[in-house]
Amino acid sequence: MKNIVERLIQEKLARETQEKTRRHFIKSCAQGMGGLALSSIFTGCDPLSTSTKTGRIAYSERDLNPLSTLAPPFAPKVKSVIYLHMAGAPSQLEMFDYKPELQKYDGQDCPQSLLEGKKFAFIKGTPKLMGPQAQFKQEGESGNWVSNFMPHFKKVVDDVAFLKAVHTDQFNHGPAQLFMHTGSARLGRPSIGSWATYGLGSENQNLPGFVVLTSGGNAPDAGKSVWGSGFLPSVYQGVQCRSKGDPVLYIEDPDGITRDLKKSTIDAINKINKEEYAKYADPEILARINQYEMAYRMQIAVPEVMDINSEPEHIQQMYGVEPGKESFANNCLLARKLVEDGVRFVQLFDWGWDTHGNVRSGSIDMGLRNKCREIDRPITALIMDLKQRGLLDDTLIVWGGEFGRTPMQENRGNTKMAYKGRDHHGDAFTMWMAGGGIKKGASHGKTDDIGFSGIEGRVSVHDVHATILHLLGFDHEKFTHEFQGRPFRLTDVEGEIIKEILA
Amino acid sequence: MEKKTFNGSTLLTLLLGIVLLQSCQTKERVDFSTQIKPIINKNCITCHGGVKKNAGFSLLFEAEAFADTESGKPAIIRGDAANSEFIKRLHEDDLELRMPYEKSKLSDEEIDLLTRWVEQGAVWGEHWAYSLPEKVDVPTKPSEASFAPEIASDFIKNDIDNFILARLEEKQLEPNAPAEKSTIARRVALDLIGLPPSAALVQKFNDNEITYENLVDSLLAQETFGEKWATWWLDVARYADSKGYEKDMGRSIWKYRDWVIKAFNRDVSYDQFTIEQLAGDLLPEPSTDQLIATAFHRNTMNNDEGGTDDEEYRVATVIDRVNTTFEVFQSTTIGCVQCHSHTYDPFKHKEYYNLMAFFNNSRDEDTPNESPVLKFYDTEQQKQVDKVLDWASKHGDKNTLKTYRNFLQFTEPVYKSHFFKEFKNSVYDDHASVVFWDDGNLIIPDAYTNNASYVYVNYRSHYNGTKMTIRETDANGPILGQFTINKSKNNKTSQFALKNVDKKTDIYIETQNDAVAPEKNILNMYWVGFIPDLPAQEKNGWTRVNTALLELLNTTTETVPILVENPEYMKRTTQVFDRGSWLTKTDTVAPATPQSLNAWNDDWTKDRLGLSQWIVSNKNPLTARTLVNRVWHQIYGHGLVSAIEDMGSQSDAPTHPALLDWLALRFMNEHNWSVKALIKDIVLSGTYRQKSESTPEMYQIDPENELYARGPRIRLGAEQIRDQALAVAGILSYKMYGPGVMPPQPDGVWQTVYNGADWVESKGEDRYRRGIYTFLKRTSPYPSFLTFDAGSREVCMIRRTVTNTPLQALVTLNDPVYLEASYHLAKNNRVANDVKKSIVNSYEQATFKKITPNRLEALTELYENSITEFIKNEEASQLFLHFEEQPTAELAALTMVANAIMNLDEFLTKT
Repeated sequence: MKNIVERLIQEKLARETQEKTRRHFIKSCAQGMGGLALSSIFTGCDPLSTSTKTGRIAYSERDLNPLSTLAPPFAPKVKSVIYLHMAGAPSQLEMFDYKPELQKYDGQDCPQSLLEGKKFAFIKGTPKLMGPQAQFKQEGESGNWVSNFMPHFKKVVDDVAFLKAVHTDQFNHGPAQLFMHTGSARLGRPSIGSWATYGLGSENQNLPGFVVLTSGGNAPDAGKSVWGSGFLPSVYQGVQCRSKGDPVLYIEDPDGITRDLKKSTIDAINKINKEEYAKYADPEILARINQYEMAYRMQIAVPEVMDINSEPEHIQQMYGVEPGKESFANNCLLARKLVEDGVRFVQLFDWGWDTHGNVRSGSIDMGLRNKCREIDRPITALIMDLKQRGLLDDTLIVWGGEFGRTPMQENRGNTKMAYKGRDHHGDAFTMWMAGGGIKKGASHGKTDDIGFSGIEGRVSVHDVHATILHLLGFDHEKFTHEFQGRPFRLTDVEGEIIKEILA
Repeated sequence: MEKKTFNGSTLLTLLLGIVLLQSCQTKERVDFSTQIKPIINKNCITCHGGVKKNAGFSLLFEAEAFADTESGKPAIIRGDAANSEFIKRLHEDDLELRMPYEKSKLSDEEIDLLTRWVEQGAVWGEHWAYSLPEKVDVPTKPSEASFAPEIASDFIKNDIDNFILARLEEKQLEPNAPAEKSTIARRVALDLIGLPPSAALVQKFNDNEITYENLVDSLLAQETFGEKWATWWLDVARYADSKGYEKDMGRSIWKYRDWVIKAFNRDVSYDQFTIEQLAGDLLPEPSTDQLIATAFHRNTMNNDEGGTDDEEYRVATVIDRVNTTFEVFQSTTIGCVQCHSHTYDPFKHKEYYNLMAFFNNSRDEDTPNESPVLKFYDTEQQKQVDKVLDWASKHGDKNTLKTYRNFLQFTEPVYKSHFFKEFKNSVYDDHASVVFWDDGNLIIPDAYTNNASYVYVNYRSHYNGTKMTIRETDANGPILGQFTINKSKNNKTSQFALKNVDKKTDIYIETQNDAVAPEKNILNMYWVGFIPDLPAQEKNGWTRVNTALLELLNTTTETVPILVENPEYMKRTTQVFDRGSWLTKTDTVAPATPQSLNAWNDDWTKDRLGLSQWIVSNKNPLTARTLVNRVWHQIYGHGLVSAIEDMGSQSDAPTHPALLDWLALRFMNEHNWSVKALIKDIVLSGTYRQKSESTPEMYQIDPENELYARGPRIRLGAEQIRDQALAVAGILSYKMYGPGVMPPQPDGVWQTVYNGADWVESKGEDRYRRGIYTFLKRTSPYPSFLTFDAGSREVCMIRRTVTNTPLQALVTLNDPVYLEASYHLAKNNRVANDVKKSIVNSYEQATFKKITPNRLEALTELYENSITEFIKNEEASQLFLHFEEQPTAELAALTMVANAIMNLDEFLTKT
């Protein structure tokens, strides 16, 4: 059945060459781009950009397979991205942003000048400053600071580049997570992973191009919109792969059905669909033939890649996986397997980082320490494992939360907080990146003595996005999609590439 | 654009003169909106219009285009192209000077057009979308020379076809022959009722017992019609069963969904349909249905996340209402204007806020209980309601009646605790209430007490004997009321005596309870209301009526969120947000509509009601066209204007401009806004009734079928695919209305922070209801619908992008719903000892087509392969057909075949 589809594709490609105007367009505009469908992405190059028809040619590669691989407009530094999001917002002050001065002010009222004009999610009245609850040391050749909450991480500290003064204007989880992943705090925009798969397709046609893995017992606060495709076609939304039940919904054959029988079914369907195509000449039918074949292959490939038991013992130990459970360590190992198999964008969400101090698990002194323990070893293993396989240079790892936490201890009205906690804080927090194109051991940006605001090298969420797109081979200002009569970008009308952390 | 100063060169002017002389020989008049505006939008507007006005030159509005630029003189001089910088710059050889800057030179044709336009006086024109002709003539039938007479006569069934044929003739194309009877029966049923037609109806049609028009009328009269078309409307209305955002708690608003279904079935005229949804509450003595209709704009999201500012999300809601209103009714994306004047369309920054002023005065304020909600009393309770209203009517005036009707129906207007201020030993707890400790106090700012003799307080009290004092102004103000609050089990609304004050003032409220430890929460207060007195307190029977009133205020009933307007004394002023940020407010604005659209009629009130009348005015150029274009899109998969979201100047011109206008005028003037009549016109046309077959050559000429030389062929929508599978299997439930249902979905799909709500699988026929009744949780919609491109309905969705993915194949191949349907399809069509007949029956029941030999062969082969496996492995049949008590290998194999049928392109597609 494959041959016929290939022949049909050949035929349509032959027809396309007759289309002179399109050819001209390819020559003059699409240098380095993989296919015609991309013309609708880069409106600057699309002769029909003022038209919402977007010049859809009946038989482009993308029509048959919307995830077919496309080359980016510029030489990319990486092929894949692994984005590790700590949902709830980890405290930079106990992990990477060492503030010895803050210790001196521990227990003192926060100066009014800092509070004026500021809004906090829960803090009311005048809170007290709270010193770092962890011990810090300079690690590696870079001498970057890492706390004792992350003892393993020091092994890879020279591979990462820190951003110490990231800021966001959102201070509630839902909107801030949306902003961090879609460039807008309101719903309706595509996520970074959707943009990436829309622009680049997937390297492996047997797996989804954009995979999402969650841990920590809950989905992120903002729900599935953080991996949604917004106004891009839904085929580019993230596919959540689950550790319990089917890894992808409906991927398993029904009970009693063998692979051979499924093959017979798809053969019969496609045979009839080919007859249908002969009558209607609608390329959607060809696409459907293609999709059924891909579904069949996916049914084998997805369970295979999602099986961590097949990994050697020493690799399992290195990550500290817990087979059969939903864990961040499992997901880190899966992330490596997925990028190894050519998945474009792997998004991990780990829930449980909201440390207000109202409960033990949500506290700086207890809960945060445990959460760090859950991620420290797997993240270290992920970087080392990618490195030993020569994959780190083709992969970008991004780590962060949706915002940071206040240098003040949280207080709420008359309620006495049971544990030590910090409120949401968007003025300054830490993120880091590692992998291809990243300057190893760099640290960009600085916060003031108590870690309240960035005083040097402040970068915005849009800047982070611009940098990710840059590493994937895009100019974030030109990578647009026409929607509602205007071109939309991931970075809206802002964003600057953070050159300081690029190699 | 001024990269280098321009030195006027005589040579250039001379050369230009020659060029102009030549071009002016063509006398043909240039039209601004069809010929000039597209060139400007494509090449100039990014730097010279809207946000950017390089060199002080903008081509967005007429006044700007002819105004002096930074050089001190205008760039366009009417009638003098040779001296117009606008034209000269197009010819420049110096790349620093030539326009468009850093882009390739405009084509000779484009330059010629622009030049002639300036020469002819640079007449500014309106974009086609912003004016509507009064009358459109139907093209005459094509001459017999171009089409064989039988082609035209077979094809033309109504006036629509004349428009279509004229264009086909222009392109020298012939329409397809009419589709076969059973094909058109399936097509029109899927379009009208979203389901395949019943066997009986098709039989009658095939036997010529009924005409095609009878068939159409019969489908239009079915109640399933409303369900199909409501599915479309609920996308634009962003209807969902949850509130969205982080917590995404459930929301009981399904009565609105039912209202939409009924409205389509009753064929409520579209103008009335529009008015009731935008402003049903402002109609004189609105009916319950008209109030339910206003839930259209209560489908906005509500943010219950801890720590979020209710005012911020109230404003977000108002913005959503402005944007949605314009997207839904005007095909206009006004959202851009929130931050700056529109780049392409003639809407000004300030006009956005004029529109916002219409929506900025509803009572809803992003509170977790979604107030105001319309209460639905049972028969007994309604008797009590009538008793109170009778009294109000008998002893008071019209306003008294209205006050008490409103108060009983939706408990407004009241002051909600999130806007209280100056908390002392009290705090807003983030859950719609204020917590009081002992000796706690606060201020209700700028409240109007309506000269009331009673205050209503809604609270939950945790102790007995709390003394509450209400004072005018502040802690030192005169006491207006003093009373004791006792422990209450649940939220309670109580009435306490109050001194009459007839002015706006700050209200001070204080609690005292010495018996309670200082750190203990004494009570939670939710709202305070000052309602004008129920009259005739001195008369016999008042106390009885008043007791009934208080009982009713404390009943819990079924509810639906609705729109309610602020009374005069609670009105908000609307201000322009600087660059769209709600925290930076500038000029105060009044309600008004954009100048580039139809004029305002002074008979209309400056509120949502007036706005809705402006929208459905026959003078509005966009309303009818928008609706006509979108109904057309539902049927053909694309609109007459391809950009169904936006008819602005960035969209393509209509493929059939005259047809669009003709349909719009006919819809308003002849059909009196009847949606059913419009749909009937479209499906009765010969255009619609053609075969949808094509050839690669024809496909190449017209990939999108914009010329209509073939009938529509589009993949079915998410709900339709499931509905159809259940219908052909004979297991679809036709039960209508009521709360959303939860058919089986895989475990663990619902996973939401803080939200204990579970997906509780429905029992009995509720598992097999139509897709429109499936519970829609915004952060986690029914997975197979999502896979087939349904949205999560967080915001208005005008178009579902149709995708074609492997995940869709996995749904129809492996989702137990489709396996169960396949099993029933196979079982119902099984003929004992006749495999071929069984397969043929299943195929024909599902597709309404005669099977071809090749298909039968392919399906028979699948059957043979299946039966071999199922015989080889007896257990397999049992595992596969686990719901069947005695599954046979034969039935299992037939089920495999039926499942293959349900995965065929022709089954998933309207052909």
